[in-house]
Amino acid sequence: MELGLAWLAAGIGVGISVLGAGTGIGRLGAAALEAASRQPETAAETRTLMLIAAALIEGIALIACIVCILLAVKTA
Amino acid sequence: MSATPTGDGNVFTQLLGKLGDHHGFYIGPYKVLSLPIILWDDGQLHVYRSPSEMEAAGKYRMVMGHPVRTLDGAKPALDLSITNLVVYQWLGMLLLGWLLWRTVSRYRKAPLQPPRGLQNAIEAIVLFIRDEVVRPNIPAHHLAQRLLPYFLTLFFFILVLNLLGLLPGGHTATGSLAVTGALALTAFLVINGGAIATIGLKRWLRHLLGGGPLWLSPILVPIEVIGMFAKAFALCVRLFANMTAGHIALLALVGLIFFFGTVLIAPVSVAFSVFVYFLETLVAFLQAYIFTILTAVFLGLATEESH
Repeated sequence: MELGLAWLAAGIGVGISVLGAGTGIGRLGAAALEAASRQPETAAETRTLMLIAAALIEGIALIACIVCILLAVKTA
Repeated sequence: MSATPTGDGNVFTQLLGKLGDHHGFYIGPYKVLSLPIILWDDGQLHVYRSPSEMEAAGKYRMVMGHPVRTLDGAKPALDLSITNLVVYQWLGMLLLGWLLWRTVSRYRKAPLQPPRGLQNAIEAIVLFIRDEVVRPNIPAHHLAQRLLPYFLTLFFFILVLNLLGLLPGGHTATGSLAVTGALALTAFLVINGGAIATIGLKRWLRHLLGGGPLWLSPILVPIEVIGMFAKAFALCVRLFANMTAGHIALLALVGLIFFFGTVLIAPVSVAFSVFVYFLETLVAFLQAYIFTILTAVFLGLATEESH
């Protein structure tokens, strides 16, 4: 029973964290694309800033995923 | 030759076991060499040439791929053994040393000649790290110049370990929390050490206020201190998870064939595996870049004048 609940929590948790990260990276990508197309001369700088922000979003999502993995491999 | 040791449990933990560290040098699932075991226990050093020699000596035995005391089944105080991933790091260092030595010696021999072959690639990466990563993000110019070798080492070392892990049969040393943790520890020391050396201890401590007034310090100081460690922790986890996630995806895709027990699923598995493999190659470069640039950005933030 408890193991089943842990797996359920892991599944729901990974879904929600992916939802958050996906929204975040999607908005980030849209904003960066808009900035780059409005000012193509600063596209390189925009790309660097986008990658840094994407890495930070990804970091949060990964920590959430690790919590989910810990739930999924729970044995007792 | 014997297959890698696997833990008990479900398929998922078994896959994770494959990606972990082993007491032997493996190429793919095949054991090539037994590696020495070095344990610090009971206040003295125990050195054995291989796991089998350790078991023959009787004081320790292997349980689930790790040495434990025969008497009470407890783990030794410190396990300093040369493991698979340590050997892969040494291989990476040797490869990197050889490549860079060749490039540098060509510059020494013919400094005015245009670069040739591999020299072009190395020079392009070095210039990219210097001009796009280190110098724009670290405002103090002399600090950027002084730490450039560190950032270059960081980038090349992570990149070579990532790519070694993508070679058929290779194991990914950066897919281990111990390795990425050590890299993040150097980043932590460089960020805070560099900040203290540049702006002085007093202003570094003022950074802990986060620019707020003094009466907010009970709230702001803990947040800033946690943030200091969270940055390094996130660096460690990001690299580890990115390098592990691709491998797990590959194992799961190939595992589909055995899960369904039919060869009909193989074309789908292989096609997706090739796609994930190319994605992993991209990620190998991207994560080396991200680790380096984030360390540079954090160092730049820490050395910034507080307003």
